[in-house]
Amino acid sequence: MKKIPYIISLLLLSSAAHALNIFACEPEWAALAQQLAGSKADIYTATAALQDPHRIEARPSLIAKARRADLVVCTGAELEMAWLPVVLRESGNSKVQPGGDGYFEAASAVRMLEVPTRLDRGDGDVHAQGNPHIQTDARNFLPVAAALAQRLMQLDPANKAAYQQNLAAFEQQWRAALARWEKQAASLKGVAVVVQHRGFPYLSNWLGLKEVATLEPKPGLEPSAGWLSQVQDTLRQHPAKMVLRAAYQDGRPSEWISQRAHIAAVELPYTVGGSDGARDLFGLFDDTIARLLKGVQ
Amino acid sequence: MNIELSILLPAFLAGLLVLATHIPFGMRVLQRGVIFADLAVAQIAGLGVIFAELLGLLEQPVLVQLIAAASALAGAALLAWIERRAPEVKEAYIGLTFVLAACLGVLLMSRDVHAGEHLKDLLVGQILWVNQSQLIATALLTAALLVVWNLFRERLGYFGFYALFALAITASVQLVGIYLVFASLIVPALATWRQTKQRYFFAFAVGITGYALGLLASVWFDLPAGASIVWAMMLSGLFLPALTSRH
Repeated sequence: MKKIPYIISLLLLSSAAHALNIFACEPEWAALAQQLAGSKADIYTATAALQDPHRIEARPSLIAKARRADLVVCTGAELEMAWLPVVLRESGNSKVQPGGDGYFEAASAVRMLEVPTRLDRGDGDVHAQGNPHIQTDARNFLPVAAALAQRLMQLDPANKAAYQQNLAAFEQQWRAALARWEKQAASLKGVAVVVQHRGFPYLSNWLGLKEVATLEPKPGLEPSAGWLSQVQDTLRQHPAKMVLRAAYQDGRPSEWISQRAHIAAVELPYTVGGSDGARDLFGLFDDTIARLLKGVQ
Repeated sequence: MNIELSILLPAFLAGLLVLATHIPFGMRVLQRGVIFADLAVAQIAGLGVIFAELLGLLEQPVLVQLIAAASALAGAALLAWIERRAPEVKEAYIGLTFVLAACLGVLLMSRDVHAGEHLKDLLVGQILWVNQSQLIATALLTAALLVVWNLFRERLGYFGFYALFALAITASVQLVGIYLVFASLIVPALATWRQTKQRYFFAFAVGITGYALGLLASVWFDLPAGASIVWAMMLSGLFLPALTSRH
């Protein structure tokens, strides 16, 4: 009986040790939250690196995790449109609903590319707020980290100092890494590439790659033979060095153009966990740039 | 025009290879009333690939193909058993086999997410992406299957037929996708159902016209290739026999 107060205090302590339950939609935001919150949070990742984040099924386990979450960290910009609204609605968790303090969209912290002037769903997977694949530009992690740290401090003021410290450390390391990556990738500037889908505008914008053609302009829909002959025409006039695809995608379209146009097919990790080298955020870009440089040779 | 031919020719050859086995098999499948057997077999082959992924064997493509073929053969044995034991309700059992295999796939994939993407790739092969090595491998398999089929035919028995069928489907689904496999099996066989003379000639005419017109439509009207071939084949299946029967 004497042990009961002891057990209770232990329980209180252990729950205090994990102040925040974070539900991350994609591995890159789980990794960033880990950098900023360290041991102050329990982080769950809803999608795996080798999974298309556009299309997953809402499972009971996702709903259960969302129910317990204090903070949902997602890309936003309609990337998770197919499953996240259902998961959040079914969770019945009022803290993490869109617009609330417990709902964080990384896309709202960065400048969006490919924002359509006219919205027409007939053009395929068009996102009204712009292209959501913001994680391929390493520079985007600085504003997202600042905004996310701000949110963590707001939700968990007791650990404010720790978040501030982690953010400062991350920013310093990231700036140093950015300088290193940009130096390594200097030779990639102006290099012409083909992309398998419209998933790399931020990467191209960052490193100065020139996208000359897209193999599958409408994701999930096979292209027409007419479109592919246009792509071949384009490549005749503007030869490209390589064709890029994300690790979760089927290799066949890339292999197809790679054999025909005699260019390198480069598979990029796309997010943390997408390749053996991409174990964390730093590894993600180390590996991405190494693979691009190999493709150019 | 040259550029388009270099895109269309491999796809058209893939279509011809698929038709070479699927027209005789389709006629047999229609006659036996087991038209959904192809869906069941393809799904079971896909299930094999998910198992391979769970065992961590996906790095070796040849091994993956062997596992897919072995699973398809196991599926063939199951279908043969069904047809022998419950001939009156075999269609119900075959449909059930398809649903059970598909659902087992969903259950297994909830443990291994990448397998889901892989299974999708396996079942929705896209005809425009075929490459030379795929064409050569499928040509060799097709030749072997046709030799066995022509040598034994009626003497193959339940399992023999389903085994050939399963191997043909496993290859063709990856080459052109499940919709085109179904259409190539059923449309030519169905369109020439009442034909007594030269049935093979008309069936191949329907199939080849379908692939040719479908691919051209994909160029001219900027349409997804697989889906336009399915419709072109159906339309040629409707019109070609009607045109010829007037003479």
